[in-house]
Amino acid sequence: MSPERSGIATNIRQLIVDGKSKTALDNAKEFHKEQGSAESEILLIDAYLARIRALFDQNLVVEAKSLIALVRERFPSAKERLDNLDSAASARGGDLDELLKPLNDPGLSAERRAAIEQVIQNQVTDLAPLACCAALPPEHGLRQAAAAIDRAFGVVTSGPVTDQQIALPEISHRSPLANWKLLIRAIACFYRNQDKACEDCLAAIRPESAPWRLVPAMRAMLGATPGARLAAKPAVHLKPAEAALKSRTSGSLGEFRRALADLDHAFAHAEQPAQVFKAVRAAVRECRQSAPDLLVELRQMVCVRGEVAGLETQRMIVAVDGAPRRDAIFFRDLARALERTGDSEDLMRACECWDCFRQEAVREGWFAERSLEIAALYLHMAGLLGRMPAKLLREMQRQFGGAVSRESNCFYFPEELYARACLIDPHPDAFSQWLRWARGNSIVEAENVARAWSKALPDAVEPLLFLMEEAEKRNAFPTALSCLEKAERIDAVNSTVRAARLRLLAAAALQHLQKKKPNLAAQRLAEIGALPQSRQGDRPAFLDAMRVLICLASGDKPGASQALLEVERGLGDGLAALIFISGCAASAKRKDLVFLPFPDTLPEQQRSHLPASMARAIALAADIGLTRNFQLPIEYFDETEAQFPRISGSLNVEQIRLLGELGIVSEHPELAWAASAAGFDRGGPTEAYFLLLRARALPEGLDDRYQALTAAAAELGRTHRDMEVVGRAVEAGRDLFDAVPLSLTADQARDVLRKEKASPAFPSGSSPGPDYSDLFPDNLCMCPACRGKRGQSSDPDLDDTFNLDADELDEDEMKRTFFENAPKDIPREILPALFEVAKEAFFRGEDPMEILSQIFLEEAPARKNPPGRKNKKGRRG
Amino acid sequence: MDANEILGVAANAGDEEIRAAYLSKVKEFPPDRAPAEFEKIRDAYETMRDPRRRARAMFSAGESCAPLVSLIEGRGVPRIFAGPQPWREVLKNK
Repeated sequence: MSPERSGIATNIRQLIVDGKSKTALDNAKEFHKEQGSAESEILLIDAYLARIRALFDQNLVVEAKSLIALVRERFPSAKERLDNLDSAASARGGDLDELLKPLNDPGLSAERRAAIEQVIQNQVTDLAPLACCAALPPEHGLRQAAAAIDRAFGVVTSGPVTDQQIALPEISHRSPLANWKLLIRAIACFYRNQDKACEDCLAAIRPESAPWRLVPAMRAMLGATPGARLAAKPAVHLKPAEAALKSRTSGSLGEFRRALADLDHAFAHAEQPAQVFKAVRAAVRECRQSAPDLLVELRQMVCVRGEVAGLETQRMIVAVDGAPRRDAIFFRDLARALERTGDSEDLMRACECWDCFRQEAVREGWFAERSLEIAALYLHMAGLLGRMPAKLLREMQRQFGGAVSRESNCFYFPEELYARACLIDPHPDAFSQWLRWARGNSIVEAENVARAWSKALPDAVEPLLFLMEEAEKRNAFPTALSCLEKAERIDAVNSTVRAARLRLLAAAALQHLQKKKPNLAAQRLAEIGALPQSRQGDRPAFLDAMRVLICLASGDKPGASQALLEVERGLGDGLAALIFISGCAASAKRKDLVFLPFPDTLPEQQRSHLPASMARAIALAADIGLTRNFQLPIEYFDETEAQFPRISGSLNVEQIRLLGELGIVSEHPELAWAASAAGFDRGGPTEAYFLLLRARALPEGLDDRYQALTAAAAELGRTHRDMEVVGRAVEAGRDLFDAVPLSLTADQARDVLRKEKASPAFPSGSSPGPDYSDLFPDNLCMCPACRGKRGQSSDPDLDDTFNLDADELDEDEMKRTFFENAPKDIPREILPALFEVAKEAFFRGEDPMEILSQIFLEEAPARKNPPGRKNKKGRRG
Repeated sequence: MDANEILGVAANAGDEEIRAAYLSKVKEFPPDRAPAEFEKIRDAYETMRDPRRRARAMFSAGESCAPLVSLIEGRGVPRIFAGPQPWREVLKNK
């Protein structure tokens, strides 16, 4: 063949490969007409076969069969190749008899069987004709397999299926129908939303097989082809049938989403329950249509919201078309929602729900009965009850818990819950929480808890220290020392333990002096002297001071004089020594033993030095732990205050701090104020402390300045990393309303400090000091929860009757308003008494109208939020 | 996201299961390549392996006050059973 003709033949083959079968056939006919050779005949037959396949692909089966008959007649050499195509054509047209008949022949060659099976795999798109093909006996494996697949195909596309329904054990992976099995699994995974598994099945289907025709459409329906091993066509090029399938199998969540948004809006804003129930019904209806698998979850969520909103339970169950599944998740969500309503009564309801959660969770296998989880849950429940006002808790315990035993209704009783938690999980944190709660109730109860803690955890120091401190408070020093001994055996290096022995022995010695038993006091003093820590710092001066008092109590004046000299030498300040001994005598309630001269009788030098002497004596008292009853004559404070400005420059920062604290403790705020001014002059990292000191020294009523000072102290403390000041300042700021305190930026804090430095004078009515109103937001949130946090009543209308600010309280005006608004059927003569009851209730933080309603046995007005609590009193505590 | 969700285990998973899930996640998000994710995984593991913290996390899991719309957030298009016919139409047309 010449190169030119060879080029023509190559072009024709290229056309065949490119799928341009019609042009290829035309060119091949022309070429064979010219050449008439064996090679050109082979090329022409190849072109015919390509054309026939193309016709099959276009579903033009009749045309393809006609062409096969024509080629068979003209080219007998192509018989075998045409037989295969003919079978495939028959198979595609649903006529499988001709294709399958050879399978009954026991002598069928393996090649021929493989060719037939390949046609079945690649061309049979409808298995129903195969399942009932008369050419094969009914029990033939191929018919059985086709019937099973056809059944499974119908089932899997019509509704949810079990794994058993689509197991298809009769189809092996070698079967020509194996790809159908993969397709059915892919469809099942698709409807189960198991997209990864679906894609894995699709990827395993052979691309030449008939089931693969669904693969591009299914990938488009999945939305992506993650991890696909086969090249997927983009979803945008779907054929009409594929697009129709995608459309018919894809729903929309739009309506359901709108219904849920409407329901959210109804819960938040609807004025009538009917509006909510209507929105609930609409959401449930849409859920059934669009996402029936979410119905259980939706019912639970809606019922939780309904409970919290106070909607009628039965109506809600009707609206959601069935009771919610009351499983552990339901009770947990309900309990958590009730915890957050801000209503104290809901806290107890939350506890009930947590108890239901406990039971369900155990039943569902979340955790075992008497497990750590249960202990943690009991602690959580007890903590919730601890957040309830004590009076309300007692009232609800009587109302709900009284009828049945504590055993079954433990969730009403914090002490029962704590006890159970600590029994299951005797952990220090659990006991610590229990003890903290018990201390708020009664000391006896707290001591019992501490004893239980100590018994359960013998190596715990905390309960022993608590018992020791409580014994110390009631002057039961032997008991306190006994507890201390146990604590020392457990943790001798604990700082509290180490500091306690000196303090307790000193207090015990003073107690002996008080009881006029100087010999016993001397014994205690000897014990103190044996302690290594008694030789540190100024502490030897304390031992000498005690000797002075013991000698005086025993009538040993020379000994007392000798000891006094030792004290003076130890402190290096005669006046400080005298002040200290006098304070110790006051602690022992033996002021008769020491005479402290009036300050105005002191020499001028001692008088002017008085602040430093006071600071020295008080520092030693604080070091020993003599904080109780360490009293000094008031004249000494007055004189210290008077002398302070003159010598403040010569004092160190620690002395200024001590005098500031002394001013607060002795209720001489002017002294503390002067100390704060002196502290500002020193500058540096202690400025935060002195801002806080000034806040504590402020007179009542200057709340803006108080908050600004505490907030600035907290911010500056953070800057200087003085976390003790930060903690105290934040606590002091919170103290006003027990709410989130004011927060300032670093610049604002520095601005506050600058203004305070410029205002050294103690504030008075005519000169209250800097104005900090710009630091406070103009518009406070008036919602009941925020009002409650600020200490206001839940209802703004009540403010008109019971003005919140006690300092500005016009009682006559309040009384007049109360009388005018009182129900007409209440006898006028009892109104004054009722007014007093309501007023007291208000300042206790309770709702006065509720109290009045209870008095008259009427239904209390519905108030969902906690009433405001008493405020502005005792904040400096 | 809750600790158990970060690790991909049930709220009541056992110690072994939690550890296996943690190791698997660390392989997926090693600290040198995904430090932020690793930090979250580490925190979640610390929570889940302490029984008391795990219990507290279990009680505070989920968001009971979330908007109801959150129920379908992240959820794809619902899939409808349309019967075999539209599927067969695709098989017939190559």
